[in-house]
Amino acid sequence: MANDIFAVKDLSFAYGKQQVLNSLSLTLHEGTITTLIGANGCGKSTLFNLMTKNLKPDTGEIYLQDRNIEQLRLKDYAKQVAIVHQYNTAPVDLTVEKLVSYGRTPYHTMGLSPDAKEDEEKVRWAMEITHTAKHKDKPVSELSGGQKQRVWIAMALAQDTKILFLDEPTTYLDIRYQLQILKLIRRLNREYGITIVMVLHDINQSLYYSDEIIAMKDGKIISHGLPEQVITSDLVQSVYDVDLTIKSVDGKPFILPV
Amino acid sequence: MVSRRKKILSFAVTAAALLLLFLFAVNTGSLKVTPLELFKGLFIEYIENVATVFDLRFPRIFIAMLGGAATAVSGVLLQAVMKNPLADPGIIGISSGASLAAVLITAFFPALYFFTPFFAFLGGMVAFLLVYSLSWKGGLSPLRIILVGVAVNAMFTGIMSAFNSGTGSNYSGVASIVNANITMKTWDDFSTLLWYVVVGLAASFFVAGSCNLLALEDKTARSLGVNVTRSRIVISVIAVLLAGISTAVIGPISFLGLIVPHIARLLVGSNHKVLIPYTIILGAFTLLLADTVGRTIAAPYEISASIIMSVVGGPFFILLLRRSRQSYGQ
Repeated sequence: MANDIFAVKDLSFAYGKQQVLNSLSLTLHEGTITTLIGANGCGKSTLFNLMTKNLKPDTGEIYLQDRNIEQLRLKDYAKQVAIVHQYNTAPVDLTVEKLVSYGRTPYHTMGLSPDAKEDEEKVRWAMEITHTAKHKDKPVSELSGGQKQRVWIAMALAQDTKILFLDEPTTYLDIRYQLQILKLIRRLNREYGITIVMVLHDINQSLYYSDEIIAMKDGKIISHGLPEQVITSDLVQSVYDVDLTIKSVDGKPFILPV
Repeated sequence: MVSRRKKILSFAVTAAALLLLFLFAVNTGSLKVTPLELFKGLFIEYIENVATVFDLRFPRIFIAMLGGAATAVSGVLLQAVMKNPLADPGIIGISSGASLAAVLITAFFPALYFFTPFFAFLGGMVAFLLVYSLSWKGGLSPLRIILVGVAVNAMFTGIMSAFNSGTGSNYSGVASIVNANITMKTWDDFSTLLWYVVVGLAASFFVAGSCNLLALEDKTARSLGVNVTRSRIVISVIAVLLAGISTAVIGPISFLGLIVPHIARLLVGSNHKVLIPYTIILGAFTLLLADTVGRTIAAPYEISASIIMSVVGGPFFILLLRRSRQSYGQ
């Protein structure tokens, strides 16, 4: 069994009177790709925002290794966990290299870098691995959707963290870019040992690219385990309220989303 | 994208233009002094004309430059905090909140005259908090800020004018703030302004990096370890300080904090580490230009710099409003 890197204990959260998460617990394992799935409004975005310190739990705790993340300063958290949000904007004239270098912000004090050389190395590494180095002097605003998303991932990688969260990283992208991004994510996990937690909408992509899947419904986790164990006709029926056939292609399960 | 060369060129040209304008402004009016005389009179020997110009015109010129720089940088900072290219300390009521406070202090507590800038800062802060909280509705919509700001501005300006009229414009100190008149300024006014402005501008350099990060989505900035709320508060306080201080001395100037940063962004780009220093020079230039034009256009009568700014700024604002989507962020 891999080490637990993230643990959520009895987490509850409500927006005003509307209870979104109800006493939810889970553990994430180091070095894996875990995908959160669920219908719109099931609470997965709320869970994502709680785990990334954008929201504070009403009750319950979230542990990053042994530290309660509520007690971690944002800056220290950002040295251990990088996040790629779904929706991003940047000033029109901001270049790729400059944006990626923002990833070094958590290591700076009063805007000054203690180790400019390390910054430079990490930024270069991040741009190379995401194939964005060739665009480094271009403004981010002039890139295509897929290239932009790779730049945002590069910025997160420049943070040099062991954990990477991605919120629907393939939304707004066409299929070619979707696959590029998912392959990149898998490579980050397999070659660099980065623990990945992401939210995805496509069930087949979740099946294919995840080590573990967490399925959510009505603010609760209804299944958590290996993809082929989690994704069953019954679960799809229960989570999305649709009746879909599951086929096997080369020994791997696939659903027909029609 | 703005090339490095264009940035350097913009700095050099604007600085040179400011120097030329300065020499021109020194020489505008009934007394004339040549640059040579000026140099001699200032540094070598006593020349009566130069001494007169030094006492009467210099303070006004320097005050215009300081006030212009402070107001313009205040605009840059507010725009960063509100993610809105239309935020301007004049339009959204910060300047009028500051002038109202300055007016009340001048009229009722003349003993506190020395602390006027501080109270102006408080007045500006009240206006800012009003606008910020009233336009907050699960986020700040650019248009709502402007609408609420216009209302707050109108209210403060109204109270101030009422006060001025109701007292028969007898308090000359009050009237000069209300009308943004910088004719009678002295070296004392200059030194009051100088320290606050220097502190405010120095502080603005420190937050330039935060301003850059705030241009990203809040969540993204937070993921980089930035305490977004704290950054916003710090930057806002500096912005209100700069606008409030300059208002206490020169009165409310509208549109300056809007026009200057906009042109500056076109010339040197949106990186605040470059934008803020450049805005200082361009802001100083612009207000001095408005003041100098106001002094010459209908001589011997004078039109105040704030009126010139309003006349030129109004149409510019409409233009910006129509194309605001392209000018910031996206």
